[in-house]
Amino acid sequence: MNPPAEQTLLLGPRQSMVGVITSAPEPVRQADAPFVVILNAGIIHRIGPNRLHVLMARALATAGFDVLRVDLSGLGDSEPRPDSLSPLDAALADIREVLDTLQATRQVQRVVLMGLCSGADHSVIYAGTDPRVAGVVLLDPSIPRTPRYYVQHYANRLLQMRPWLNLATGRHPLWRMFRHRNCQPVEAQLEPAPGEPPLTLEHPEVRAFLQNAYGRAVAQGVRLLAVMTADRERQHNYRRQLFDAFPQVPFGAQLRLEYFRHCDHTFTTRTNQQRLMGLVLEWMKTGWGGSVDRA
Amino acid sequence: MTPLFFGERTRRLFGLYTPAHARAGRQRGIVLCPPWGPEYLRAHRSLHQLGRLLAEAGFHVLRFDYHGTGDSAGDQAGATLEGWVDDIGTALDELKDTAGLQRVGLLGLRLGGSLALRAATRRRRDIDALVLWDPVLSGADHLAELRRLEAQALDTHDMKADPDELLGFPLTPTQALELQALRLLEPAPAWPARTLVTVSQALADHAALREALGQVPGAALVEVPGQPAWIEDRHSGAGAVPVRQLQGVVQWLNT
Repeated sequence: MNPPAEQTLLLGPRQSMVGVITSAPEPVRQADAPFVVILNAGIIHRIGPNRLHVLMARALATAGFDVLRVDLSGLGDSEPRPDSLSPLDAALADIREVLDTLQATRQVQRVVLMGLCSGADHSVIYAGTDPRVAGVVLLDPSIPRTPRYYVQHYANRLLQMRPWLNLATGRHPLWRMFRHRNCQPVEAQLEPAPGEPPLTLEHPEVRAFLQNAYGRAVAQGVRLLAVMTADRERQHNYRRQLFDAFPQVPFGAQLRLEYFRHCDHTFTTRTNQQRLMGLVLEWMKTGWGGSVDRA
Repeated sequence: MTPLFFGERTRRLFGLYTPAHARAGRQRGIVLCPPWGPEYLRAHRSLHQLGRLLAEAGFHVLRFDYHGTGDSAGDQAGATLEGWVDDIGTALDELKDTAGLQRVGLLGLRLGGSLALRAATRRRRDIDALVLWDPVLSGADHLAELRRLEAQALDTHDMKADPDELLGFPLTPTQALELQALRLLEPAPAWPARTLVTVSQALADHAALREALGQVPGAALVEVPGQPAWIEDRHSGAGAVPVRQLQGVVQWLNT
């Protein structure tokens, strides 16, 4: 079989977003399969970290799915938006415009949104606002920390040498707390590591916002595959954390969770890339109803 | 801005063509040759910005991905440096054809600079200016530096990588050997009359390069200190955009 064909595309009402479509070869193409849209991972352009999005798109196309990799406005090769929307609202507006273009030009009726990091958050926050979204693949999404997270986090640290060394040498945050006579939890005083988001996911408003987003998606019937990596230990550290963080969301069988140990945030090693692609392909092949599931 | 695939059916290359904004005066064009692997990923933002600045300054710009990299067809495991030099030739022809130009400029960053110099040597009659931005002088040193970064990353995350990969990108033993043998000044290149080498940091190895350029009228090596575009900036996965470096390149090409 020939490799999947690829073509470039300009999307949105201003034709300002750059995308590449990887089309499933005809012999394996499923007419009613959802179209996969892969969003930017942070500020990396549409090929994804380590070219992961390209490899994923080609693997999915070979399995019968059409795939779009796209740069949202202001990222990669796409033009910035002319309006003054907030970054989140701009991303959500962009996704709607991307889906509108796919519907108008290719009669796409339902999609699976896929993203890593900010791409995961954009995917799930958008999902419940548009009935065209049938599924989301979330790679290291933002998840508030839970009581079990903290138990595991500090248990792990007890087993590591460095915190004890810091305590002995006066570099541990506890010493700072005592020096400043500050009785806030140590956690609240920790400065985020360079490049890490501020530690605000546990804020009640943020938690409620995310819970609402997941709840809307689930209520709409969206299927979810969430993959967490050990690299985001400051944020999540066990497989079922998403369930525990949002106990009011009736995820049921719509959510599948996976946790990759010995894996960094961007799936750098080929072993982790292949494991991820195998998982996504397996998840994509069933659960959509109709002829796709019977194939 | 037009994204496109070009080249032979069996070797389709992705390109982003940006026509000159200012059409007054002499028509000029330039092909931007990226680095490879992790450096390609980090430097994308800078090359994107450079393309925009050059288009605003009146250049027709084609930025492209080598076969097996970026958005281009193929798997990097099947790529060769010689093949990538050929790809630069294909991109040259594409830009000449699209913009209707007889000669165009070449700009290469890091490994892209080393490859651009080889392409310029092969296609002297087609080149009117050459810019090498922090070119890789020694493939062996370049590979050693990337291997050092890889060891650091693997150790941090308690991961193991296969020998035929490097920081998430395939690198077969044959490719590693080809890269190790790469020397910017060997075999002796044919420098275009208008050549600029611009570097972010002075290195001891630059002495030989400076000496070689000293024999070429119209060639210059300038140092523009700044954050390297191809090194990750603050865990963002992308590099910084060194504005002074970009402005210096545009200014030199424009004079």
